[in-house]
Amino acid sequence: MAEAYIQIHKFPQSKSINAVRFLPPLSAFDRPIVAAVHDPDADVFSVEIHALEPQNPPNLHLQSSWPTPSRISSLRVSQTPQKPIIAASTLGGTLHLFSAHPVEASIESEVLLADRSFHSGPISGIDLQGTGTELVSVGEDGRVNLVRVGESGLSSNRFFDSRGLVSYKAARWASPSEFATGGLGFSLQWWDQRKPGGPVSQLKGDWARGGKSGMVHSIDIHPSRKHVCMAGGSSGTVFAWDLRWQQQPVLLSGAGPDETIQPLSVSEVWEVQYDSYIQSSNPVSAASAKILPVMVCLEDGILAVLKQGEEPLELLAEPCAINCFDIDQQNPSDVICGLEWEAIAILKRP
Amino acid sequence: MPSLVSDPGESLVPFSPQVGDPVVYPLHHGLKPPFARLSISWSRGNSLRVAFFKTPAAASASSDDETGGKVLEVKLAEGGGEIDEAQRRRIAYESVPVFAHLQMRRNSADSLSRMSYGSSSYRAEWWQHVMEYSKHISSILGAPKTSSSSVVEDPKTVVKLEEEPTCLKAAWDLMEIFYVDKQARAWLPERLVDWLADYDGLLSGPDSTIHSKLLSLQKELVNLQVIEDELKYWEAMSSALAVGWLDIVVKLLRLHGSYKLDQLGNRETENGLVEAVAVLVSTMPRMRPGLAAQKPGRCYGTKPDFFKAWEKWRGQMAKLDCSAFWVQCGHRPTREGLRNLLQVMLGNTSSLASATCHWLELCISHFLYVRHFTTSLEAIHSLAQKCMQLKPPSDSQWLTGLMFGILEENTEVVLAECSRVFGPWMVTHAIELLTADNVQADFLLHEERYNLGGISIEELHRIVYAQVLSSHALTWPIAPVYLASCPKQGFGLLEILLYRQPVQHDKTLLKNLEICRLYELDNISSCLKKITGMHHWKHGKKGSGVFWLQQAQDDVRLNRIAQQLFEFVGKSVSDDSFKQWEGLIELLGSEASTAGGLEFLHKYKDFKKSLQKVQDGKASDAARQAIEYLIQLMKSPSTPERFWLPLLHDSLNLLNWRERPLMNVSETNLLLSKLQELSLARLRPGFCDSHLPPQALSSVRLALATNLGRAILE
Repeated sequence: MAEAYIQIHKFPQSKSINAVRFLPPLSAFDRPIVAAVHDPDADVFSVEIHALEPQNPPNLHLQSSWPTPSRISSLRVSQTPQKPIIAASTLGGTLHLFSAHPVEASIESEVLLADRSFHSGPISGIDLQGTGTELVSVGEDGRVNLVRVGESGLSSNRFFDSRGLVSYKAARWASPSEFATGGLGFSLQWWDQRKPGGPVSQLKGDWARGGKSGMVHSIDIHPSRKHVCMAGGSSGTVFAWDLRWQQQPVLLSGAGPDETIQPLSVSEVWEVQYDSYIQSSNPVSAASAKILPVMVCLEDGILAVLKQGEEPLELLAEPCAINCFDIDQQNPSDVICGLEWEAIAILKRP
Repeated sequence: MPSLVSDPGESLVPFSPQVGDPVVYPLHHGLKPPFARLSISWSRGNSLRVAFFKTPAAASASSDDETGGKVLEVKLAEGGGEIDEAQRRRIAYESVPVFAHLQMRRNSADSLSRMSYGSSSYRAEWWQHVMEYSKHISSILGAPKTSSSSVVEDPKTVVKLEEEPTCLKAAWDLMEIFYVDKQARAWLPERLVDWLADYDGLLSGPDSTIHSKLLSLQKELVNLQVIEDELKYWEAMSSALAVGWLDIVVKLLRLHGSYKLDQLGNRETENGLVEAVAVLVSTMPRMRPGLAAQKPGRCYGTKPDFFKAWEKWRGQMAKLDCSAFWVQCGHRPTREGLRNLLQVMLGNTSSLASATCHWLELCISHFLYVRHFTTSLEAIHSLAQKCMQLKPPSDSQWLTGLMFGILEENTEVVLAECSRVFGPWMVTHAIELLTADNVQADFLLHEERYNLGGISIEELHRIVYAQVLSSHALTWPIAPVYLASCPKQGFGLLEILLYRQPVQHDKTLLKNLEICRLYELDNISSCLKKITGMHHWKHGKKGSGVFWLQQAQDDVRLNRIAQQLFEFVGKSVSDDSFKQWEGLIELLGSEASTAGGLEFLHKYKDFKKSLQKVQDGKASDAARQAIEYLIQLMKSPSTPERFWLPLLHDSLNLLNWRERPLMNVSETNLLLSKLQELSLARLRPGFCDSHLPPQALSSVRLALATNLGRAILE
């Protein structure tokens, strides 16, 4: 089995880890990592940059830290090595954008939006365009905001407001003008900046008939397949919604109308990401019809890769929850995850 | 519960009656006195919550930026333990799976072999499990001492300074030796020798230990020119020899000046004596199965073998002691030092006493050189008492209480010492060791006690530990593991614990629900969902509110909030804001059972949509569709009365459809009868009128009548 060769290193942090991301590499040696943490002893929430030294065994040490007013709900980074931007949203309804120093991997400056007209109550999800110029934020208050990141600061624009009638949990850009959001009842919405006034199309919440309803926690959209929206949520549910076949999502894991698909677990799927490292075992069947492999982390401590029609491949099984993870875009064999018991784990796949 | 024990004399967890110096915590509240009220209460963990209230008049009179009061949290410092909070949490986390695993084994073993509980095979197997558990916990408390010898070894490094061991680990290992490690029983004294070698550094309080002696020698070693002239050098060696650290002794002996090449010639006899002693030291017989690699000494597994070897070794020593070479040895410190080493090895009690510092060191030296076969606890106990008379321990020694508890086979004392020195974590986890192979302790700790409210001592300590875990925001989720292992009160407390967790954020709530699912607490889980639903509803997040109430299947509340929703719908489902509603209505689903009257909204939405199509100028098919929805709505018992008129008024267009009548006679009659019902209902008190123009009713009636006429004609 492949697991036998996976190197796993754990770094106790003595702080709870709410989110982790790889930053694009700044120098040739160290790999910078951003983590959203909470120090319970000092009662401080902060964004930290750590440097991952690649020697064997790898070493993780803190480079810089910047406090935030409350717990971070979502963390994203731009893929721009010359000027990396880190975006963080909080449960207090504030949005923070940090620009990192390109060489020293330290946080240089912060701009923030902390206006009640932006979001009232927790921001549940944000996504940053790869270029770092535009950001979408959604919240439990039912607002969908677009934030433009300019030289002079942030300017926000309320794209939609459901006034609390619908709560959104996650957001993801599909293209410079389109994005997807997810929410309660496993519902997904597709939006287009050019067509304001409501979602362009939506996956209705009651598709999971027979199974238990739940909420979407995370969405991912593959850059090469923008019409497929991958989502993970409650009760071990992972599904793909193809805009071309709108009414029936494809279930990868979870209880649904299709009895043949067993859930990987019945606990929460906290995050999903396409895994470009795992190649399908059969290259012929990996044609366009298939759904690309996707990595998920779960409340019951499993980090696994799901492939359509195959057994899930478990990478990590922990006694505690895995709350977040990120795959290194530059070097997809590396995965970093945040564990419930105050530790960061780094996986190196063979 | 601990509070039930009212008499301190009977308390299981002893507390010292002495009161330390009061500690002053300055508070920076930044408010101007006077205060009307001051409230002090316990917050999470070890913090106090202090609230200052100003008199309302004073607050309003003062400047605007000053508020009416302030709440501060004061963290009361820990007693300066060797383990900080973060470390304590790490230990707590890592011991959870180990503990849970052992409990699982116990449960499965109990269910499998309830009949053969007392049988020896069961006991043996169980003891094996506890041994594994103990080793695992010990590794969590600190990495085992690595005896890795680097290739280039510094000859002047006598004592390796590694990661400082903790008293917690030392105490754990000590209990493992006495309670669990069956294989060690035959060579208990040697196990204690090993234990002391690992943890001697921890015994130093105000008194010095052999470890600290060696450390101070090592510091000076670099500066000493003629080492064998130093008294310290010889003293350190005899001390190390007394407690069996043979490798250190041999290493130190080889530092002797007579080994230097330039001096070898004129100090031949001296060197011969030093080497002879070194050889004797490194061939000392030990009553144990084996030694770590490259450690000097010879091991013998059985008593007769050992005894024979010992006699032979002593014979060699006696021979050397009477040898004539001593007279020829000109260097006095060497002569005396070496002879003192021989005295130690010959078991001269006064030499042993002067070579050791701590009572336990003295005790161990007796095991090594005087009483090799002391294995009964009673014998060790009496020896320890004698040693203690010679070297009385200082007050703050954690070891003494624990050791004597163990030697006196007094389980309560051991537990009390563990609790006093190391706290609830230690007690909870150490109970498994105490009961592993001791039926008496097993009975004592599992007996249900009236004075503890019907729970056993074991359960009491687990509950206390679970409460400590619950008091911290990050460790509370592991408290259920311990509470679930409490048969009497565990689940009651677990329910309380889950109730008291905040529900505002879905992520934390979902984690709570996961715990409920694991322990099959369905009623708690549905309560939490209801609480969350109401919380969201009250905070204006209607969608979330409805979602969680649906999850809880709380039809009563859903019906109540349905009435409120209808208010909003009646007012705000104008055409442009309809998109906002769509999402919520989708969420409700079409199943009537879960929505509690809200399925009306679903039909209403369909109706509105088709109506919109009609207005957009679509064909009459759409109009016919809209009429069908209207009839469905009007037939359905769940459509509230106050919607009847607005619905009919909205569809005036359809009723007056130009091309042909859209409804047949019976459908029209149904609507007319509903209209009649409505006009009667208007006369009743408490009827709430819609926001339609006053002539609405008559215009609808007219339209229906016209339609009826046209339908009859057709």
